[in-house]
Amino acid sequence: MSTTPEERLDVSMTINGRRYRSTVEARRTLADFIREDAQLPGTKLGCEHGVCGACTVLLDDLPARSCLTLAVQAEGRQIRTVEGLADGQELNTLQRAFREQHGLQCGFCTAGFLMTATALLEENATPTREDIVETVSGSLCRCTGYQTIVSAIEQAAAEGQNVTNGDDQ
Amino acid sequence: MKPPKFRYVAPKTLDEAVEHLASDPDAKVLSGGQSLMPLLAMRLAAPSILVDLQHVPGLDGIDDQGSSVLIGAGVTHREIERSDVIAQRLPILSSAVVHIAHPQIRSRGTFGGSTAHADPSGEWPTVLLALGATMHAVGPRGRRTIEADNFFVGPFTSTLDEDEILTHVSVPTTRTAWSFQEAAVKRGDYGLALVAATGIPRDGQLSEARVAVGAAVGSVRRLTDVERLLSQGPVTDALAEEAAVTAAASIDPISDIHGNSEYRRKLVATLVRRAVLELKNGA
Repeated sequence: MSTTPEERLDVSMTINGRRYRSTVEARRTLADFIREDAQLPGTKLGCEHGVCGACTVLLDDLPARSCLTLAVQAEGRQIRTVEGLADGQELNTLQRAFREQHGLQCGFCTAGFLMTATALLEENATPTREDIVETVSGSLCRCTGYQTIVSAIEQAAAEGQNVTNGDDQ
Repeated sequence: MKPPKFRYVAPKTLDEAVEHLASDPDAKVLSGGQSLMPLLAMRLAAPSILVDLQHVPGLDGIDDQGSSVLIGAGVTHREIERSDVIAQRLPILSSAVVHIAHPQIRSRGTFGGSTAHADPSGEWPTVLLALGATMHAVGPRGRRTIEADNFFVGPFTSTLDEDEILTHVSVPTTRTAWSFQEAAVKRGDYGLALVAATGIPRDGQLSEARVAVGAAVGSVRRLTDVERLLSQGPVTDALAEEAAVTAAASIDPISDIHGNSEYRRKLVATLVRRAVLELKNGA
């Protein structure tokens, strides 16, 4: 038995169109909720203090660092993660562009870039290269040198990014 | 990198929020969490209770009131960035907001949160000091207003009491000559030096100039020597140069791994020169 009183709270949210419910400590981050309670490990945790961008998800359609949000703050909200992008085994336009343009190597940062780029393309279907650079500046990648990531997002924009995904909405 | 334990409450009214905050000296307000969560992750803060304001009504909205714009504390940086009212009435805010971290942070972080946090490298404290904004707060002893000049008093320190909540900021729109300057290693990084300058253009001259500096100094502050200089005559290239020299002489810059004191002094001088030249164009 722990001697420290531990408050646990019921929290439920929708992730990629599916309802998830758990009882968590107040200090549990949204990132840990997604990875451990919802068992969706596609969202990665790098720095865990808001610098690297690897854990970026969409919170009510806006990009948010899931390590800087508490699970309890996301109560009742709509979350989208990288698992919601592909339709079964079929990559969406943005994911395919990342593969074709070599927009990833080790892949650890990729989920964060994909979700950030998804938010950008949903708001602005024809971003300039400058818009893309500004958007991806919030994520760190130590493999690619960024140019291929920017090119991948440009390609997805040119092809008209497929923002629909099987289980969302 | 996991936060320490705390209790969490999500009140539905401002009164309830104030009650929670006053109930424990170590209770803290949680708004967007973009500054607080890293402090928790690094265990630099260990609040007993977090009082989440997300369900408290009345902290939103950007309201054009003529000679000022009333901005709710819960308005996100992203909302400021996309606001037509702000773009038209307070373009200095539109100019500064894109320097605040990254889109993923701006979608969560709030105007009031950053202001109350009083981070000397935060853009809003420097800008609000240069604009002479008025803070609206509520606490167990009722409502009160605090002028920006009396609000930012030290690094991460404002005159907001521990049990008070910043609800709105009233930002005057009369200072139509303005400039915001920031030097950072790369886009979205914490600035090494920030300068915000404003004034009221009158017959080719500036009146009531206010110049504030942040990031390069331990605590955001006004450069009153520079302000006096600007009120002495028409703004010329020579005056901008003099302002730069005066600014450099009147600050005691911080020194750290990102930039030593002398480097930051030069940055402030350069930013003040640029700011004054921009003010000249507005005057």
